[in-house]
Amino acid sequence: MASDSRNIRELLNNLWKWTVDRLERTTIVVYKFTVPKQYISPYGYLGTLTAIVFAILGVSGAFLMFYYRPDVELAFLSVKEIQEKVPFGFILRNVHYHASNLMVLLAILHLYYQYFSGRYKIKNEVLWVTGIILGILTILEAYTGYNLIMNQRALLAVNIGMGLTYSAPILGPTIAPIFMGGGLFDLVVRFYALHVFILPLLMLLLAAVHFPRALIIDFPVISVIVGVIFISAGLFPAELGIKFDLTRGLVEVPEWYLTAIYAFLRTGTERFTAGALLPLLFVIMFLIVPFVDRSRKLSWKDRPFFTALGVASIVLVTVTTVWGFYVDFSKETAFDQLYIEPTLFYGSIAGMTIASFYATYVYLSRQVRGARPPPTKPIVLKPQSATTIMVVLLVFIAAAAAATFYTYFINLPNHSMFYLGIAFFLFGLLLHVYRHSIYTQERQATQREQQAVRTAT
Amino acid sequence: MAGAVLAVIAPFANLVGYFYRKEEEVSKRQKLANLKDLSPGSYIFFSYPQTGDPKIDNDPFRQYVLIMTHDGHLRVYSRVCVHLWCLPSYIPSRGALICPCHGSIYRDTDGVAVDGPAAYQQYPTNALPMGVIEVDQNGDIWMVGVEGRLGYGREWQRVKPDDLVRRVT
Repeated sequence: MASDSRNIRELLNNLWKWTVDRLERTTIVVYKFTVPKQYISPYGYLGTLTAIVFAILGVSGAFLMFYYRPDVELAFLSVKEIQEKVPFGFILRNVHYHASNLMVLLAILHLYYQYFSGRYKIKNEVLWVTGIILGILTILEAYTGYNLIMNQRALLAVNIGMGLTYSAPILGPTIAPIFMGGGLFDLVVRFYALHVFILPLLMLLLAAVHFPRALIIDFPVISVIVGVIFISAGLFPAELGIKFDLTRGLVEVPEWYLTAIYAFLRTGTERFTAGALLPLLFVIMFLIVPFVDRSRKLSWKDRPFFTALGVASIVLVTVTTVWGFYVDFSKETAFDQLYIEPTLFYGSIAGMTIASFYATYVYLSRQVRGARPPPTKPIVLKPQSATTIMVVLLVFIAAAAAATFYTYFINLPNHSMFYLGIAFFLFGLLLHVYRHSIYTQERQATQREQQAVRTAT
Repeated sequence: MAGAVLAVIAPFANLVGYFYRKEEEVSKRQKLANLKDLSPGSYIFFSYPQTGDPKIDNDPFRQYVLIMTHDGHLRVYSRVCVHLWCLPSYIPSRGALICPCHGSIYRDTDGVAVDGPAAYQQYPTNALPMGVIEVDQNGDIWMVGVEGRLGYGREWQRVKPDDLVRRVT
C-alpha cells in the first residue's frame, strides 16, 4: 500500500514538473506570482484584488447570460425570473451585483493608494494612465450592466447618459444614435453587446498592459474579499425595482458611483458642463499628475501640494456623492424634491474642497519631522494557542456552513449568502492564523539556530 | 490617380453606417389621416416609421401625435418627453401636451414646454421634436421626416413650426 501511494505521488510530481517545464514556453512565465509567506498590507496589491473580483464578475456574468434576455420587454421579466425562479439565480445575480460594487470600490481605493504613495512616478507613467482609463471603463461597464435590468432606475440612468451624449458639442448628435439605434428595443441590445463583450475585451487588453510583472496572490485576503461579497449580498440583497413605465414618475437615485454626477445635473447647470466637463476636469487632473509632479519624492508627507490635492479630491467626491443621495421629501413634486439649490451646492463643495486643501497643505508644510515611530512588535503565537484559535474558527466555520445549508433549504437565500460570507471570512482568518504561526515558528527556529552557531563560535 | 482611389473607396465610405439603424422608412412617406377626419382640437396617436413588427412599432421612440390645434394648424410631435422620456398625452381643452410623470406642459402650437421640469431646460432641450408633414390636394396628410432629436429636443437652428407643414399642389 505504502509503495502504491509513493508511486502515485511520484507520478503526480513528474506530471507537475513536466507541465511547469512546458509552461516556460508560454507568456505565463512573464508574470511572477508570489504567494506571501507572511501578512503584508493589502494596500500594496489592491490592483490584483480588483482583477480577481473582475474574474468573479466574468464567471457569474457568463452564467447570468444563460437566462438573461436582451429585449426591451423581456429583459426585466428575465431578471425577475433569475431572481425568483431559477435555482441559484438569486445567489448568482447578487454575487454579480455586489462584486461590481466592490470592483468599483477597490479600483478607487487602488487609485488613491497609488496616488498618495507616489507610485505614478519613476517609469510608472504608462501603468498609471492605463489604470485611469481602466477605471473609466470599469464605471462604464457597471453603468451598462445595471441598465440591462430595464427597471425605472435603469431608464433614468439611460436617459441621463443619452442626454449627456446628445448635448456634446459637434460629436453628440453623431455618437448618440450609435447607442440609441431605432429606439429602446435597439438600445438594450447595444448596451448588452457593450456590457458582455466590447467593454470587458477592452478592459482585458488594457489590463495586459496595466498588470505589473509581479502579482501577489494572497489567499487569506482573497477569501475575506469573497466573504465580503457574500455578506453584503446577504445584508443588502440587490433590488429588482419596478419595470420601466413611461406613465409613472418615481424619485430614483442612481448607483453610488454615479450620484456625484447626478448631483451636478440636479442643480440645473447646463447639462454638458455639469455632467461631462466638470467630471472630465477631475479625470484630467489624475491623468496629467505624473507629468506635473516631477520631484523624486515618493511619500505623501514629502509632497504637501499633491497630497493636499488628493485629499481635496476625496472631499469633493464625498460631498458631491452625498448631495447626489439627498432628496427633500418635504417638497410636493418629484421635480422639487430632486432640485438642488446651485449656490448652496457649489458653495458647499468649493468651501469644503478649498478648506481641506488648505488645511492639509499647511499641516504638511509646517510638520516637523520627528523620529520614526518604533516598529511594532509582531504578535507571536505559540503553537498551542494557534491551534486553539484555529479549532475555534473551524467550529464557527462549521456552524456557518450548517446555517448556510439550513437557510438555503428553508428558502431564505439571502440569509444563506450571509452565512456563506461569514464562512469565507472566517476561513480567510484561519488561513492567516495558520500562516502566521508557521511563519513565526520558522523564524524562531532560524533565530535559535543562529544563536547556537554564535555561541559555538 | 486620386480619382481612381476615390472611385474604389466611395462605395465603402458608408461603412460607419453599420452603427446606425438604417431607416429608409424615416424618409418614407407614411399616410396619417385625411383633413376630413380632423376638426380643431382633435388628435391621433400613431407610430412612425411603421415596420409591421409590433415590438418595434410600440417602442416609445416611435410614438407621435398628430394634432389639429384650435386655430386649425396641423402639428406632429414626438411623444417622448424631453425631461425623462415619459409619454405625454394631449389635452385638447388646455391646448397642451401634459406629461403624466413630472407634469411638464407643452404648448400645442409649437411644442415648447411652458411649465414643469422640461420648461427649466435650456433651448433646444425644452421642446418636443416635430414631425415634417405634407398635405396633398386630396387632403391626405403624410409624414415625411422628423425635425429634432428624439428624447432630447430640437436642433440648434430654430425652425418655424409652420415651415414643417408643406402643402403639395
